[in-house]
Amino acid sequence: MISNYLTLSIILFSLGILGVISRRNVFTVFMSIELMLNAANLAFISFSRLHISMDGQILALMVIAVAAAEASLALAVVILLHKHKGVLDTNIFSTLKG
Amino acid sequence: MEHTATFYLGLIPLMPLVGAFVIGLLHVMTCKTKGFSEEFYGVIACLGPAASCIMALQVFQLLQAMPVDQRILVHKAFTWFSVGELHINMGFLADPLSSLFLLFVTFIGTLIHIYSIGYMGGDKSFGKYFAYMNLFLGSMLILVLGDGPVVMFVGWEGVGLCSYLLISYYNDDRSNVLAGNKAFIVNRIGDLGFVLGMAFLFWSIGTHGFDFIALKANAPMLTPAMGLVVCLLLFVGATGKSAQIPLYVWLPDAMAGPTPVSALIHAATMVTAGVYMVARFSFLYAHIPLSGEVIAWIGILTALVSAIFAMFQDDIKKVLAYSTVSQLGYMFAGVGVAAYSAGIFHVVTHAFFKALLFLCAGSVIYAMHHEQNIWRMGGLRKKLPITYWTMVIGGLALAGCPPFSGFFSKDEILFSALASGHKGIWIIGVLVAGMTAYYTFRMIFVAFHGEPHSKSAYDHAHEPPAVMTAPLVILAAGALFAGLMNLPEVFGGHQLVSHWLAPSVLDHHVHATEGMEWMAMGASVVVVLIGIAIAFFKFARGAEVPYFSGFSKFAYNKFYIDELYDAVFVQPYKLIGSFIWKQFDPNVTDGPRRLTAGIYSIAGSAFKVFQTGFVRVYAIYMVIGLSLLSLLISQTLN
Amino acid sequence: MLEHILSSMIFLPIAAGLLLLLFPVAKNGARAVGFVVSVAVLILGLKLYTGFNGAGGMEFVERQTWVQSLGINYILGVDGISLFVLMAGAVLFPLIYLVFSTKPKGYYANLLIVEGAMAGAICAGDLILFYIFWEVMLLPIFFMIGLYGGEGKVAATIKITIYTIAGSLLMLAAILYLGVSYHSQFGGWSFDIAKMGAMKLHGTGALLAFVAFMLAFAIKIPIFPFHTWLPDAYTEAPSAATFVLSAIMAKIGVYAVIRFVIPIFGPEFTRYALLLAYLGVIGMIYCGLAAIAQKDFKRMLAFSSASHMGIIALGIFCMNIQALTGSIYQIVAHATSTGVLFLFAGVLEERSHTRKIEDLGGIASQAPVFALFFAVAMLASVGLPGTSGFIGEFLIILGAIKFNVVVGILAGTSLIIGVCYMLWMFQRVFFEKSKKASFKFKDLSGAEVAAFLPIVVIIIVMGIYPQPFLKKIEPAAKIQISSISQHVQVAETIVLDKGHKLEQK
Repeated sequence: MISNYLTLSIILFSLGILGVISRRNVFTVFMSIELMLNAANLAFISFSRLHISMDGQILALMVIAVAAAEASLALAVVILLHKHKGVLDTNIFSTLKG
Repeated sequence: MEHTATFYLGLIPLMPLVGAFVIGLLHVMTCKTKGFSEEFYGVIACLGPAASCIMALQVFQLLQAMPVDQRILVHKAFTWFSVGELHINMGFLADPLSSLFLLFVTFIGTLIHIYSIGYMGGDKSFGKYFAYMNLFLGSMLILVLGDGPVVMFVGWEGVGLCSYLLISYYNDDRSNVLAGNKAFIVNRIGDLGFVLGMAFLFWSIGTHGFDFIALKANAPMLTPAMGLVVCLLLFVGATGKSAQIPLYVWLPDAMAGPTPVSALIHAATMVTAGVYMVARFSFLYAHIPLSGEVIAWIGILTALVSAIFAMFQDDIKKVLAYSTVSQLGYMFAGVGVAAYSAGIFHVVTHAFFKALLFLCAGSVIYAMHHEQNIWRMGGLRKKLPITYWTMVIGGLALAGCPPFSGFFSKDEILFSALASGHKGIWIIGVLVAGMTAYYTFRMIFVAFHGEPHSKSAYDHAHEPPAVMTAPLVILAAGALFAGLMNLPEVFGGHQLVSHWLAPSVLDHHVHATEGMEWMAMGASVVVVLIGIAIAFFKFARGAEVPYFSGFSKFAYNKFYIDELYDAVFVQPYKLIGSFIWKQFDPNVTDGPRRLTAGIYSIAGSAFKVFQTGFVRVYAIYMVIGLSLLSLLISQTLN
Repeated sequence: MLEHILSSMIFLPIAAGLLLLLFPVAKNGARAVGFVVSVAVLILGLKLYTGFNGAGGMEFVERQTWVQSLGINYILGVDGISLFVLMAGAVLFPLIYLVFSTKPKGYYANLLIVEGAMAGAICAGDLILFYIFWEVMLLPIFFMIGLYGGEGKVAATIKITIYTIAGSLLMLAAILYLGVSYHSQFGGWSFDIAKMGAMKLHGTGALLAFVAFMLAFAIKIPIFPFHTWLPDAYTEAPSAATFVLSAIMAKIGVYAVIRFVIPIFGPEFTRYALLLAYLGVIGMIYCGLAAIAQKDFKRMLAFSSASHMGIIALGIFCMNIQALTGSIYQIVAHATSTGVLFLFAGVLEERSHTRKIEDLGGIASQAPVFALFFAVAMLASVGLPGTSGFIGEFLIILGAIKFNVVVGILAGTSLIIGVCYMLWMFQRVFFEKSKKASFKFKDLSGAEVAAFLPIVVIIIVMGIYPQPFLKKIEPAAKIQISSISQHVQVAETIVLDKGHKLEQK
């Protein structure tokens, strides 16, 4: 039965990865990252339920907290990027070219 | 008494060296401002050599007073360097051979210093000249007095250095400096032979003591093969210093230096160092006849070739230079056939008459305001009588006309060659004697007889001051009477020099009939007279400048040997150097490094492809990495 | 006080250099500080020299435990061989501060640091300690060439740094291998050189370690064909850095071979000595030939320096007491002759603003004192008897002939090769007529004469009276030779028994 939840988690995670790779808008990329994080949360909670232990749920809470912090930082960076280039398209930022 | 006597030995070379230091210091400190007067420098300069001369006389007398088989004075100044089996002292040895050299080197040296005061008058670096001259004399004395090969080598290189400094003395002119370079470098090539010979000698018998006395005692332990190698290598050094084939080419160029330098260094002293060295090592050479053969033949061939050159030269100093090379050839022929005392005797007489001839030439050059081409002189015998007559005396001595000294010494060598079976050497020697007479008197007749080439120069010519002519007269007396030192028995003499030198050198005593001796002498005298006569008829009554073609042109250009050396050695050397610097080093030796650097460069460019700069691509990398990692972990966990 | 003299000689200049870098100091102040510190090191060095016994072993030893678990200790010591390398540095460093015009502060700070680091490398008795100083020694040179060098300074800096570090990294690997071998043979960890000599190494590991060590040192000395960094580095570096590189740092490479390779890798050293000797002598001839093609006098002196280092390296590989002692003596003599020639070249460049030989001429008539000093140094460089250069060269040639006749004869050609380019350069720069660049060439000032005069005196004294110096070198050299000779005997017995399958110990 747990496999249903894990399947859902995997599907969500893959959707998140696909979003990160293939979307051009920076916001969409961040949304996909959040999706991946939530997929991981789902997996944690499923396993917690499976093993009748609180560890997974506590980790899920920590992940939520970290996600919130990371999102705030990321949004600050996005605002700066917007100030710099005016457009939020991941294809434009290539100054790290080797 | 013994203690103070040996202390003298250290002082003899030291006096001129101290003089050199003092004069050099004074000169360098004052040369930009007003310097000291010439008389001041001159007096200090002559003090050192004169003091050495007096001390040399004392050493000689000391040795005379000792019994014949004990005539050795040794002074060890200090331990110079000592490593493992090698112990070299800064030591000095006076025995009959070195004391004889001491006498004439210091005596002629002092005379030439006095002469130089007049000749170099007005020169702007007067002090520098005398510093170098004193330094030279000091080095020569170290060479002669050295108690072992290494100390001798110190003097050997020292005289080479001073020769370089004095040849390039007029250093504003590039050709003079090039001549100096040539002398130093060619000398050094000879020195390589000397050093290698010393090294081989050391490792074969020198580990039990590397001074002459110990080497002489240990000489029988030398294998014939090694002995031959050592003898020939040492002789290579001698060919460099004493201008024999193939390393004679520096001597004629050395005439670029002031004339007293040519007289002292390139006639009387430095160039005889090679002969001295062979005589000093007679305990080696006498046991290896093949080395003697090589030396004798190289010597006599050099004598022949340079006599040919001398017959065609038009620079008065060049004639004398080739003449010196030729006479040195005689000396080597003498020591080559193991007639060491004959060779040394010729060294002594040659020192007198060749120095005399050079100083006379200097006198002529001085009078003619530095004109050196004999074809632009002429008729000078009325204007320069002292010079003329002393030059004639010197010329007769050089030609080997009896009763002048040159006759006795040259004849002694030729007789030894004949009597020890070297007929070829004797014949060539007699031929060269005739040629010597010819070119000597060609030079004298063209310069002093006939009509003057340039009236104005002739009018301005006058005899140089006494400070220059007095040495000429003294040397002329030596050239005249030195023969008495070694008068052979057929004339009732006692062969004083040969007997004096006997403890030092291993002469090969020849036994020949008196008839052979008279015949040899007669042959020499005849060719000399013929040579003088030919020169007289060709040149004494006025001659025109000759036009050279064919063989004479070839000889006038010295067989193009200098050009040959340049093409075969000098230019390729420079080319190889340039090739190494421009092509070989950057491409071949640096090749691997460049290759490595290139590979890194290419690898870097290859990996640069991954750094696209696009964040999305980096995200893809992360995903790929993550997947691989999880795969790996899942595999290992299984 | 004397127990810590080595540490003070090492860390005093390093500390002074670092302090100079940290604090704002005027250029002249930095120069004065540098001079005072280097004179202090000189005084310490003289105390060291006079207190030195010369019995053969290590003296003034200092030991402190450092990283106990790995056996890395702080060990310093000098013997007859390192004493002279150290003294050469101590005596010659003060000159640099006297003879050039005032440079930026960093220049003097770097000089101080490199002086201390080099002293450290010479005195180190522990392999890791030595490695640290070896690497630290390179850093100030990197900065001096990179910041204060000539036109091609960037390329030259990169080349010397990467080339040297490549060798050093291989050496580090070899050092670690030695540590591991020691551990497997004796149980504990140690990098102490005195203990390393007792190790028995065999197999490809030993060979590779030997090659790694020799590579690092061959690059530093330099030995043909690893010399290609030298012409650019020496030419583009400021004259003080060139002097440091040529006079002292190159010698540390030579010294390191004696100190580390011979005791630890005896059998391999003996087996490859002939090859290395040939490399040394070929390098001497090669660089001497390249020298004559140079139009820039500093580059010519660079090749001259490389050529002489070839002979010095040869002296070590000959494995007899004369050649080894000659090599060490020549180390000091080379520092006084060629090193000082680089200083003179710096003076020449500063006053005439050119390095091209064809632009110069007639300097002897403008500046006789300078010409005289230059001539003495030049004659010492070509090995004229009576100067410092003769004794070492003669001993090396003598030892080389005993070792191998062909090598000895080739070594003898150094007599000729050296003279050719030196005289040619001297003729063009000092003789002949003055050219535009050399008009009004100022002669040496009183201070400069006072600075150079002791060196000229040393050159002559070392030539005339070398015995006191040789007496201090010989016992230490004897120890090295005896450690090698036992391997020579083993190698010979193996050769004799070549017919049989002999297991090599």
